[in-house]
Amino acid sequence: MAGVLYEEATRVYPGSDRPAVDALDLDVHDGEFLVLVGPSGCGKSTSLRMLAGLERVDGGRIAIGDRDVTHLPPRDRDIAMVFQNYALYPHMSVADNMGFALRVMKAPREEIARRVREAARLLDLEEFLDRKPKALSGGQRQRVAMGRAIVREPKVFLMDEPLSNLDAKLRVQTRTQIAALQRRLGVTTVYVTHDQVEAMTMGDRVAVLKDGVLQQVDTPLHLYQHPANVFVADFIGSPSMNLAEYPVVADEAVLGELRVPLSRETLKALQDEGGDRVILGFRPEAVEVVGEGEPAGFPVTVTVVEELGSDAFLYGQYADTADPARLAQTVIARVDPADPPAKGERVRLRIQPGKERLFSAVTGRRLPT
Amino acid sequence: MATETLPVSRSRLRAVRRARLGPLSALSHLALLVWTVLVVVPIIWTFLASVKSEDEIFGGAWSLPATLRWDNYARAWDQANIGQYMLNSVIVVGFGVLGTMLLGSMAAYVLSRYTFRGGRALYLLFVSGLAFPVYLALTPLFFVVQNMGTLPVIGPFIGLNTYAGLVLVYIAYSLPFTVFFLAAFFRTLPQAVAEAAFVDGASHTRVFFQIMLPMARPGMVSITVFNILGQWNQYQIPLVLLAGDKDKWVITQGIAEISTAAGYNSDWAALFAALSMAILPMLVVYTVFQRQIQAGLTAGALK
Repeated sequence: MAGVLYEEATRVYPGSDRPAVDALDLDVHDGEFLVLVGPSGCGKSTSLRMLAGLERVDGGRIAIGDRDVTHLPPRDRDIAMVFQNYALYPHMSVADNMGFALRVMKAPREEIARRVREAARLLDLEEFLDRKPKALSGGQRQRVAMGRAIVREPKVFLMDEPLSNLDAKLRVQTRTQIAALQRRLGVTTVYVTHDQVEAMTMGDRVAVLKDGVLQQVDTPLHLYQHPANVFVADFIGSPSMNLAEYPVVADEAVLGELRVPLSRETLKALQDEGGDRVILGFRPEAVEVVGEGEPAGFPVTVTVVEELGSDAFLYGQYADTADPARLAQTVIARVDPADPPAKGERVRLRIQPGKERLFSAVTGRRLPT
Repeated sequence: MATETLPVSRSRLRAVRRARLGPLSALSHLALLVWTVLVVVPIIWTFLASVKSEDEIFGGAWSLPATLRWDNYARAWDQANIGQYMLNSVIVVGFGVLGTMLLGSMAAYVLSRYTFRGGRALYLLFVSGLAFPVYLALTPLFFVVQNMGTLPVIGPFIGLNTYAGLVLVYIAYSLPFTVFFLAAFFRTLPQAVAEAAFVDGASHTRVFFQIMLPMARPGMVSITVFNILGQWNQYQIPLVLLAGDKDKWVITQGIAEISTAAGYNSDWAALFAALSMAILPMLVVYTVFQRQIQAGLTAGALK
């Protein structure tokens, strides 16, 4: 068992100026479940493939445990990987698929059989051991791919979007199974996904990447509550955070008729970078519907109401302005599912005090409060 | 109610099927029919002639024989020495195809799945062999093989009038198409499966032989059968390279010998018997692997 360490690990694809992964620094602790998340093309899969040895490392280093593996071939890294489309060996039975790595290692026949059987029991695959992958359903194939990884008893599990080929319901089920399995086996796991819900629900910690650059790595809750920059704030959470740029007049951010006072630290940071505008964000659930007379609120015209049963979300337009840029913005707010406002209705909303997040309009980074 | 509506729906189904068989489809079926006749009729004619007497053969192409004269086969086998020639063919084609498939699949795999300096040029060099008519090379080929025979130690085994010399030429002759076809086939196989094997600890050699080659099975079968047919029917090359040793002749030479040996007094019945014996193994090979050949040829299109 071992942790994983990326030190300024960089990958530049031939013929490209921009690195696909740019000086990635990441410390995955022993036994941790770390999720790499980001939009497509952010370098998350490349980072994982660099760890697997399937992609060259052009700069920096990668270590598994105490061992520098930067330039080792995949087979010398003691890792197991689960691929997006499972990549099962089509001409081998399930048992042979799972036992392949052990056969390569020249493990004794009885031991291979024993470990394959154990993994099959763990994954509920015992009755399929003699079948070819072709004769399995998507979910079963996914489990075989997991089984192939488990049988190895590797130092690190690498998973590259292993759930994206499953249907929505099975995905949610398998999500919890994988997380539970990982906790039980205690093997360090690096998991790649583009789905922020997967990232939030599975990871001990989540690393958010964008354009090959690590934005923030933290526990899911901390990531949600204290995003390091505008990108993370926007990417994490569904529906996403309300984010918009506002002018700062005196020591307040001006949101139409609403003024949000800024703290001394915030103002000082703004002053240091010479900006007179600020990006203010608030989560849909940080908003509450208030009466017409509430001075700290702002009026919104409801355009859409999404009722999910347990929740209801209001999508609306600012009603206190004629500014086209501000009219184009959508405000999202969570409202009482038992009593949602009607479409076309005008409601007054208030941001709960202290729930707003402030970011620099220049750098996008979070401002101190 | 249900039983009453059934005939209606059935006849409608027939109508739909007929409509689908539009003018274009009918035309293509006609073309296929003509093609089938063109292929099948000469084969039937050959088999028919192989069990007739000489007079019956010249009497009428489609006349049926009075008795089945299997002795034609016996004469061809013994007197015309077809048994020996057939064995020679099996030896040469066996090793030729084995070598072609081994080298061809390895070359195609590397050329299609690894990028390295000159890889593309090497691939094109292989493929350009397709455009080169072997007849143009016959004379130089003769001298090349003759020179191979003068090499120290191995010379006597790979020169003119040797099995190995002919096998090497067959391999060289078959490689361009084999590499061209298999490279295209390997390119359609998913990269992730090979990567999974690398992560599982396999070496490049193991990945090739235990993972990629079995996955390329449909393509391998198609091209193997194609090569068997091509090398079995080869005439000019063995004619030039085996001229000096009649004991090593292959089946095509043996058949030609029957017709040319006695001028106009050839044993035509034995000729057709020999021809039938030469065709039969190929028919068997094709019939056995028919499904896989089709799978191999359409694999790229289906995925």
